[in-house]
Amino acid sequence: MLSPKRTKYRKQHKGRIHGNAKGGTQLNFGAYGLKALAPARVTARQIEAARRAITRHIRRSGRVWIRIFPDVPVSTKPAEVRMGKGKGTPEFWVARVKPGRVMFELDGVPRDLAEKAFELASAKLPMDTKFIVRLGER
Amino acid sequence: MSDTTVISAEPRDRVGKGSARAARREGLIPAVVYGNKKDPQPITVNERVLMRLIHTPGFFATLFDVEIGGETTRTLPRDVQFHPVTDRPEHIDFLRVSATTAITVAVPVEFLNEEECPGLRQGGVLNVVRYEIEVSCTPDKIPSSLQIDLATAEVGDSIHISAITLPDGVTPTITDRDFTVVTIAAPTVVQDEAAEAAAEAAEGEEGFAPEDGEEAAGEEGGESEE
Repeated sequence: MLSPKRTKYRKQHKGRIHGNAKGGTQLNFGAYGLKALAPARVTARQIEAARRAITRHIRRSGRVWIRIFPDVPVSTKPAEVRMGKGKGTPEFWVARVKPGRVMFELDGVPRDLAEKAFELASAKLPMDTKFIVRLGER
Repeated sequence: MSDTTVISAEPRDRVGKGSARAARREGLIPAVVYGNKKDPQPITVNERVLMRLIHTPGFFATLFDVEIGGETTRTLPRDVQFHPVTDRPEHIDFLRVSATTAITVAVPVEFLNEEECPGLRQGGVLNVVRYEIEVSCTPDKIPSSLQIDLATAEVGDSIHISAITLPDGVTPTITDRDFTVVTIAAPTVVQDEAAEAAAEAAEGEEGFAPEDGEEAAGEEGGESEE
């Protein structure tokens, strides 16, 4: 699963996801893409599940690009522990995704295959998404 | 040479986000026509017409005759701004062109004989490095597309710009190297499956793997810097 190699600080504030994506809103590598329509924290596990769904569906052909990276650590407290006594331990990594962000790109496959692959991938992700196509692509 | 398309537009009296938003609410897209040593002219274009044109291949390499109040201006679309979420066009730039000035334009690449390509028939993947090639030419010489014949391309082959015959008066803007346009890559399915199986096996034991390494790095900041 994706995670940073090293970080400056172990724990981060929870934060909020405001506004729309400012960059990464257009296709940059492939002919097809999956765009987020709502803000969400996407875990490394979800990214991996979506990637796996795509690569399994396209089988032999094509190339996949992942354009989000989970660089925010999320901490949790153990079960049955009272509030206070410090922040919990980091448990997993998430990517903060704003609406409009292209999360995955795909190339080298026919459009119908790409659409189905992204439909399967979308089921693994925590927000609504849409399928996008390169300008001029039929 | 690319064809010229006629597009009708209305002049825009007011500029700024208020009037631009008002135009968008009415199904019009704010645009501007500029260049050729004349003052820029704000205009609006019908959204439906524009949407159809934007999604045709080679939109940025097509000359447009913009009709503004009975007057026609020959232009080239230079930029389209899209809404990040809805992908609706929000603004478009048209550059006035004269017949003599050389312009830089991105021309789409078209692939011929994909079905007959031996490399693709063996399971290779068409890895397009550049969907568009930037060329420099006069407006009347803009090619509608640059064609690449894949009839003899094998797995592992790379097709560079030198393999493409450009029309007279058309030169690529990148001249310092023979850049790659497309490659026929070998299928990677065998590696992928092996890697996936290994990843799945490792995942069962994993948990929050980076924590240990990162803990050491985070708490002993001085050491980690080294």
